[in-house]
Amino acid sequence: MKGRVFLFLAIAIFGFSCRNSKSKTTEFVFPQSDSVPVSEAEKLSPEAIADISKNISSPVEIANLLQTLQIPFSQNYLASSIDAGKQSTSFDKALKLGILGADLGYLNMYEKTGSSLEILSSIRKIADDIKVGQFFDFESIKRLSKNKSNLDSLLFISINSYSKIDSYLRSDDRGQLSALMIIGVWIEGQYLATQVLNLYPNKILSDRIGEQKIILNDLLLLISPYCNRDHEFSNLCKDMQSIKEKYRDIRITYTQGDPVSVEKNGGLTIKQTETSVVNMSKEQLDGIIEITKNIRDRLIINN
Amino acid sequence: MKKTLITLTILFTLGMLSYGQVSDPLISSCAANAGADAKYLKDFRIQLGNSTTQSELRYKANMSLWKSTKYRFSMCNEENSKGQLYLVIKDDGNQLILSTFDKKTGKTYPYVDFECHKSGIYTINYDFTDGQQGSGVGVVSMIK
Repeated sequence: MKGRVFLFLAIAIFGFSCRNSKSKTTEFVFPQSDSVPVSEAEKLSPEAIADISKNISSPVEIANLLQTLQIPFSQNYLASSIDAGKQSTSFDKALKLGILGADLGYLNMYEKTGSSLEILSSIRKIADDIKVGQFFDFESIKRLSKNKSNLDSLLFISINSYSKIDSYLRSDDRGQLSALMIIGVWIEGQYLATQVLNLYPNKILSDRIGEQKIILNDLLLLISPYCNRDHEFSNLCKDMQSIKEKYRDIRITYTQGDPVSVEKNGGLTIKQTETSVVNMSKEQLDGIIEITKNIRDRLIINN
Repeated sequence: MKKTLITLTILFTLGMLSYGQVSDPLISSCAANAGADAKYLKDFRIQLGNSTTQSELRYKANMSLWKSTKYRFSMCNEENSKGQLYLVIKDDGNQLILSTFDKKTGKTYPYVDFECHKSGIYTINYDFTDGQQGSGVGVVSMIK
């Protein structure tokens, strides 16, 4: 009897302490199914789609990380081969608008604003072609780029222009172009990160690449309703699924901890003690680098 | 009468067409005042009426926040707002990460810097103090 009571107490104490442990780990996993069913994506409300778009569509976060890590700028990563005049379909135009947007973010973040004028004129041409040029404040961006005066204003106007285009396309019943633009931004950001990592191995950067697993499903949700639209969409959906496949066995685990807050200069600073840890082998990373390069290089070929 | 109607229709159409080109001045000023070291990332426009219940925060959006990044969340109120705009961030497990409203003291902070160490999709919640009516902007920037 004594033995049984001791065993019960031991289990109870062990169970309790595990639930409250600060070093408890949890893991991020993809939803059960291999692919996002079209029906599931179609059920998403316009608000949910807007939320996903807003969540993903920042073209400057990877560029900011590269700059923070003091990685030198290189023109070689840019999609300079894109010829705005040779994009024949709306599919090509919207995708390229996203890719060039990410490049513009990279140039702006490194204050290479003189070089951004060429990309800006391509963006203008493509945006006008799909009738969203009115949302891109070219004159202000051009002026700020030439003056090199105010990086924050430049970032604000550039990002804001892209957000307006994205919202307009969705409200104008052209959600497929919005999805393409967002995927273009993401693929170019991913390409930039993976190419830089090849030259400058860095744990923070490789973790960021691995952690893209967290938003991959949202990207697939955005594109899924259009996968059967035509062969261009169908191929892009297959590409995105191939990328997702490369991420399948990458593990992201979490250690728990309470945030620490400090009041400073009238504001508040919160330091998170909870952490995410990426478990990714060299082979897995190489697979992601390779597939990203193949897909991105194919996408920027002019028609 | 007919002329007036036509003029009004033209003015309305022109107004709608130019809407996309006009930036919200509150967003611009809030982004500009986020700090010299802050790089604009995105904004949230919040316009809420009076609320009779206070159980749930009324404005919600998802946002991916990435490890090894310092974010600044700035809040700006329109002058005619009755309440003060505040922010609450929760993680994907609905655990509270931060709040810029201290319920004990009633103090609201105009900005919060968040040192992120766990990448994930977070819920960004905004509301006005005491569920009051208000109009405001939340700007997210990256800082060094």
